[in-house]
Amino acid sequence: MTNLQKKSQWLIQHFKKEWQIYVLLAPAMIWFFTFLYTPMYGLQIAFKDYSIFKGIAGSPWIGFEHFQTLFENDDFIRAIKNTAILSAYNLLFAFPAPIILALMFNEILNQWYKKGAQTIVYLPHFISTVILAGIVITAFSPSAGIVNTVLGWFGVDPVYFLSKPEWFRPIFIGSGIWQEAGFASIVFLAAIAGVNPSLYESAVVDGASRWQMMWKITIPSILPTILIMLIIRIGNLLEVSFELVILLYQPATYVTADVVNTFIYRQGIQSGQYDLAAAAGLFNAVVAFILVMTANTISKRYSRTSLW
Amino acid sequence: MAGVTLDKIVKCYGDIEVVHGIDLNVAEKEFVVLVGPSGCGKSTTLRMVAGLEEITDGTLTIDDRLVNNVSPKDRDVAMVFQNYALYPHLNVAENIAFGLRIRKVPKDEVTKQVAEVAEILGLTEYLERKPADLSGGQRQRVAMGRAIVRHPKVFLFDEPLSNLDAKLRTQMRAEIKRLHKRLGVTSIYVTHDQVEAMTLADRIVVMADGRIEQIGTPMDLFNHPKNIFVASFIGSPPMNQIEAEVETRGDKLFANFGDNSLELPALNELSGSDHGRKVTLGIRPEHIMTQADADTSSIGVELDLIETLGSEALLHTTVMDKPFVVKAETHGDIKHLENLNAFHFKPGMIKVFDRETGNVFDYPERLK
Repeated sequence: MTNLQKKSQWLIQHFKKEWQIYVLLAPAMIWFFTFLYTPMYGLQIAFKDYSIFKGIAGSPWIGFEHFQTLFENDDFIRAIKNTAILSAYNLLFAFPAPIILALMFNEILNQWYKKGAQTIVYLPHFISTVILAGIVITAFSPSAGIVNTVLGWFGVDPVYFLSKPEWFRPIFIGSGIWQEAGFASIVFLAAIAGVNPSLYESAVVDGASRWQMMWKITIPSILPTILIMLIIRIGNLLEVSFELVILLYQPATYVTADVVNTFIYRQGIQSGQYDLAAAAGLFNAVVAFILVMTANTISKRYSRTSLW
Repeated sequence: MAGVTLDKIVKCYGDIEVVHGIDLNVAEKEFVVLVGPSGCGKSTTLRMVAGLEEITDGTLTIDDRLVNNVSPKDRDVAMVFQNYALYPHLNVAENIAFGLRIRKVPKDEVTKQVAEVAEILGLTEYLERKPADLSGGQRQRVAMGRAIVRHPKVFLFDEPLSNLDAKLRTQMRAEIKRLHKRLGVTSIYVTHDQVEAMTLADRIVVMADGRIEQIGTPMDLFNHPKNIFVASFIGSPPMNQIEAEVETRGDKLFANFGDNSLELPALNELSGSDHGRKVTLGIRPEHIMTQADADTSSIGVELDLIETLGSEALLHTTVMDKPFVVKAETHGDIKHLENLNAFHFKPGMIKVFDRETGNVFDYPERLK
């Protein structure tokens, strides 16, 4: 019996024995195939002069012309720059927020207070982004917003926060943290719960304070989880909460708020330039792919933790 | 070095009392082993000594200092945990040094002490390795190193060998014993393994249901168990038990069960008036003879199984429908054991327990 025959026989036996597992896996595979792999066929329009009348197959190939157009477009360059800046801020402020929150929750000894606090910070996650944006817009409103009302108490004139480009980034990052930090902290709380309690007991006997235990036991113990979440985050770095940007930005703040995805949305959906938008989207995906590969390799090399 | 005294120590979780006022005095440099079945309160007691559990009532003194409300770090104790409690992100040297670094010991001193401890425990070549890259025995040594390096007044061991395989356990047991001889630090050791207790302890404390059943040297516990629980817990294989009735014939005592009658030793606490009293006989497998002697009485048996251990064999049978085991010497062959049909007993080797209270008759005065 050849190796190939042996392998195929083993495979048949394996399927017969474990078919239930594959049945359970099937819906996810079908979903991935239908919504993530099938549309990849359409990616080719990034290299074509696409016409909806000629269809994808019938449209002529034009090579990298759309990419050239994109990189000659100042708006696209601005969108890349904004995406990079917002991503960096996200990584700098929004990524550590749930970790800090989880560490703080872990230090709360009163169970009632802890559960109450957790529920309060989880809630914004369940609010629709549209409603969240509505709350933000209302809160920062120059006429009736709470922020301007409070500033008014200190004699500060109303600030038109949402129409000033310099305020877009702090508001965007802040509202993102408010919405997601609590819910994202669950992963880190679970990681903390998995830390062997005798490590803490041993440290207590050795004389460690709570602060020392947090730095020397909790954080190093959850580091693999932090790294995995970081890699996943880096993979989604260029997404920068597209819906929230769309809902919060306005032409006056494009200079700091327009990101690659909003650019794609405007070009593709609003202006009907599907091929150009596909090129921008492909560029986004390639950069994200490189980022996640790089992060994974670095993490694997230095911390033995990786996604694959 | 320091002694440890537990005076009427009680531990409650809510309304449930799990340790019921235990008294124990551990002398300076002594190695005391707390042994008992799961849930008997031995680990809870140890954790109260460490300061990891609050003491509900009673007093605990270490080196004549009341420490009930003293935090663990200020009790000057070091603890070795069952699952080693090594920090996975630190290497061996950093793990050993952890306690010293926390106490802000100067770096040069830390390096020197870690090197010394590593030398004692044979860990010098593994100092740069992470716990994940060590074997179970090496990890256990690192855990001990972390305790030793602090030069505490008291060592506390919470079932430190139970995660190791049998061979390694025997090896580590010897190492702990050697280490104790070398360092002479007062040690309290918790285990559910009576072999560990017997081999390591200066004194053993047998616990059951949150109470101390007996305290004594390993040989005291083996030869003079206070009650049926200690008798059955100490010794491997455990002491055989036969339910019987006392019969007095003149000035001699006999125990009758089924068609058998065994002569009992003379006991001050049993007399002619105890005729018909229900007792449990306790006979160690090592104390039963396969050949009759001048002063032995015998019972007829049918062997079920012979387990060969090499120089010894375990002979299995049933007496009064209960398993009965005899440990016999093989002298290199088991043929002479295969056709045995009787076991023989010397009266002095039979322990007699009151079936109502479970207590042994004639418990030696010096052990009370």
